[in-house]
Amino acid sequence: MRSALRSLLQSPKRLSGTLRIARWELTRSAGGFDRRAIAFTIVALGLAGGAVAAGIASGPGDVALDRNVYRVGVDADSPYHEVVAGSATLAARPPSVDALETGEVDVVVGDGEIVADDSEKGRAALTAFRGATRAYNDRLMRAEEDGVAAFPVAVTLSYEDRTLDRDLSAGGGGSEIGGASGADTDADNGDQVSSSDDTSEDGTDERSAGGTGGLPAVGAGGVSGTDSGSPADIAPPFPFESLVLAFAFLVPMNFVVQLYGSSMLGERTNRRGELLLVAPVRPIEIVAGKTLPYFLGTAIVTALIALAVGGGVVSVAAVVPIGLCFLAATFLASMLARSFTELTFVTVAASVFLTSYVFVPAVFADIAPIALISPLTLVVRDLASESVSLGEYAFSTGPFYLSGLVLFVLGTGIYREEDLFTQRAVPLKFLDALCARLTRRRSVALLSALSIPFVFVAELLSIAVLFALPMEYSVPVLLLVIAGVEELGKSIHIYAGFTGGRFDSGTRTALVLGVLSGIGFFVGEKATLLAQAVGLPELALGRAAFVPSGVGGIELVALALAPLALHCVTALISALGASRSKRGYLLAYLVAIGVHAGYNFTVVNAVV
Amino acid sequence: MSDARFTIAKRELSGLRKEKTILLALAIQLFIAAFSSFLVVGLVSLYDPGSVEGYSVDVAVAGEAADDLLAVAARQDGLDPTRYSGPRAAYASFQSGRSDAVLVANRRPSGRIGVQATVPDENVRTTLVVVQLREALRAYERAEREEMAGRLNGMALELPPEQRSNPYYDFTYTVLVPLLLFLPVFISGSITVDSITEELDRGTLTLLRVAPVSFARILEGKLLAAALLAPAQVFLWIALLSVNGTRIANVPALLVLVGAFSLLMTAVGVAVSLLAPDRRVAQPVYSVCALAFIGGTATLAHGPVNTVARLAIDSAGPETTTAVAAYGLFAIGIYAATRWLIERTDAAAL
Repeated sequence: MRSALRSLLQSPKRLSGTLRIARWELTRSAGGFDRRAIAFTIVALGLAGGAVAAGIASGPGDVALDRNVYRVGVDADSPYHEVVAGSATLAARPPSVDALETGEVDVVVGDGEIVADDSEKGRAALTAFRGATRAYNDRLMRAEEDGVAAFPVAVTLSYEDRTLDRDLSAGGGGSEIGGASGADTDADNGDQVSSSDDTSEDGTDERSAGGTGGLPAVGAGGVSGTDSGSPADIAPPFPFESLVLAFAFLVPMNFVVQLYGSSMLGERTNRRGELLLVAPVRPIEIVAGKTLPYFLGTAIVTALIALAVGGGVVSVAAVVPIGLCFLAATFLASMLARSFTELTFVTVAASVFLTSYVFVPAVFADIAPIALISPLTLVVRDLASESVSLGEYAFSTGPFYLSGLVLFVLGTGIYREEDLFTQRAVPLKFLDALCARLTRRRSVALLSALSIPFVFVAELLSIAVLFALPMEYSVPVLLLVIAGVEELGKSIHIYAGFTGGRFDSGTRTALVLGVLSGIGFFVGEKATLLAQAVGLPELALGRAAFVPSGVGGIELVALALAPLALHCVTALISALGASRSKRGYLLAYLVAIGVHAGYNFTVVNAVV
Repeated sequence: MSDARFTIAKRELSGLRKEKTILLALAIQLFIAAFSSFLVVGLVSLYDPGSVEGYSVDVAVAGEAADDLLAVAARQDGLDPTRYSGPRAAYASFQSGRSDAVLVANRRPSGRIGVQATVPDENVRTTLVVVQLREALRAYERAEREEMAGRLNGMALELPPEQRSNPYYDFTYTVLVPLLLFLPVFISGSITVDSITEELDRGTLTLLRVAPVSFARILEGKLLAAALLAPAQVFLWIALLSVNGTRIANVPALLVLVGAFSLLMTAVGVAVSLLAPDRRVAQPVYSVCALAFIGGTATLAHGPVNTVARLAIDSAGPETTTAVAAYGLFAIGIYAATRWLIERTDAAAL
């Protein structure tokens, strides 16, 4: 593979072949969009635009998915009627206690008393009602002439790093917007507090424009820095930004990927791709040429979106690997799928997994170093004009580059006549793809090591999914799942090699392959840990959670050898099974999971 | 209804079953459901201090107006205020980790009280601390406002009583449930596009022309198969959610609604693939239609997502029923239009 890549890059002739295919692919794609399709799209968009216009014309123009989900029984002349009318979430109904019992309303405003239904929904409705009343009060007070009486409290909120030296951090905290900064004296000398505050107060009161009741408005809530204003304006750091970003970047990517998948699978129907195969170009050039336009398309779309949300080069560089991985997954899917329907399912699955993978940790973008496993964290930081180190970039995009490359390598392996135009079930095709990469026994170790990024992703997602379970169930289940994922990563290609007739099915061969696989996996795992330790020393916390078998593995040689022995032994067990039969492999795989999970339990119990 | 259509529909469904891809679709949805509960549980524990057992925020309070603030803050659950003699002592306790936050309150010449709030910039706790402080400061603001009530023209309304509730209760119904209900619908339409464009591409439809089935029947059979798939999946979902403790109300109405949307999207899928028989064109065009449908109706007072949310959370009224009926009629209208398009299409020309 490496030599193929090198020759591709070095030889201008090969490169020109790739470029020619890319150009051809581009013109062919554009040709598909005829006038009818474009007209239909315009009509659909026009209808949507009409619906939006109708929605805006008929009511409050904002998108309120939770419109009128709670009903409040309130009299038309009650002061609370205004509150309910002003809130999108609440709907006003005639008040009666009967209505509460029959479930017609969730909250009733009676004489001097507010009663909620005794259910989860009733409590949620009451909380929403409380929030709406608060917002109503704020609106009411904003209309008051006496700004000081309406908003008697002004808050300056500052975030301070406690690990810093005291003087330094006190200086970094709190300087009020529009006023002289008196924070240093605040902290250091209590006597001067009132005088230093006076200056800032004068500054604020004179500038009565903007913000609540003459107070400066609190900014949109970045984590570090200073916010100030009425208590109502304090915004706790909230991670919705990442959710919006995840969708903004990944939804348009879906379109490019759809086109790409159609084109790749289209080659396989009616032996259309045969012409390209017999041309004097290598499969890797065909794949590279056909992928290039879509990759550039992804990059351009990403750049445009980054421009729109205000991101810079870092944002683009962070998101492009996601696109690469997405394209790679689609490429392999289109090599494995039997029909367009199947391709659609596989693509949707890839899209969902990728979106959630990049989204989960980005929820914690502000708080934990673990958030860095998502490239979106880099985007969030870029938008906040924070710097991103090269190590951090490599850490968060590395798995994407690597898994993208591995998927392309696997797919290109079966870009040949006997696989392109045959119909086999997806799992069998997948085994073929693995088998195509097993040229000699050493390849087993390499494939084991290359499975690390996928194992990592699968483990992370299972943590996310199992999070909802109670702790006493989630930890054992998690350990089992981790064992299962790692054992699969170590043994599936061995099984592929045996079924594909790549190795003779002797016990000796199985033993050798098992040990090789174990070593490969161990080396890959330790290389990842080492890279993390060098690039991100603060990540020590996450390490234990994600690779339990590597707990404390770096410090002592004896401890380092234990995981190595474990990986070899379990890989050996499944290799022995794989050399027999499918059933033998399944049984051995289960035994290997058992051994691995048992080891993990022991380690976790010893450590905790 | 003729048998031919059902035969085609059965053939389509068995094709899906053989490829086992429907299992993947279910797995995706299971994943989304589990994942969303991770988000909900995670976010709840982040923003609702009450869900973290026995945790209270220690606040160091100082400054000349500290006593009033202390009195208000002491009444709040989950907040543990301590009076310090001066800002210096308060900051010292913050730096040493004895307090989670510092509040320094001083009266300004204008009569306003300036509160200098300092919170740690470190971890998950920050959000929790800020939420708690905001609650206390708002209570303080209300108390101070009442003291100056004479200077105000209006009176702030008394807040409804506070009760501990799940702050993401409505998130489940307004985001998660609609997501789980609409995903099968969109996938159904996508399957229709795939199925038709693939047959056209491979030329297998031409073979069927010698069979005693008309082109229109074949397409209707495909449409039917896909349109039935989504309500079946949704029914499974609702059952699963109920087992999991999320009560879903108005199940029949929801199924009717999903059936209507499913008919609508599959009809659109058929129309798109007849107008643009190349899958590379048809799929993106269909996706644009689906996105436009959801995005375009999001602002409507009875948009599809909002209607689903209201039905599921049991806040439906007569107007919701009207909306469901209207969507049903709209879907049937689009279906009729698609049939007209099918009749007009010459199969040989595709």
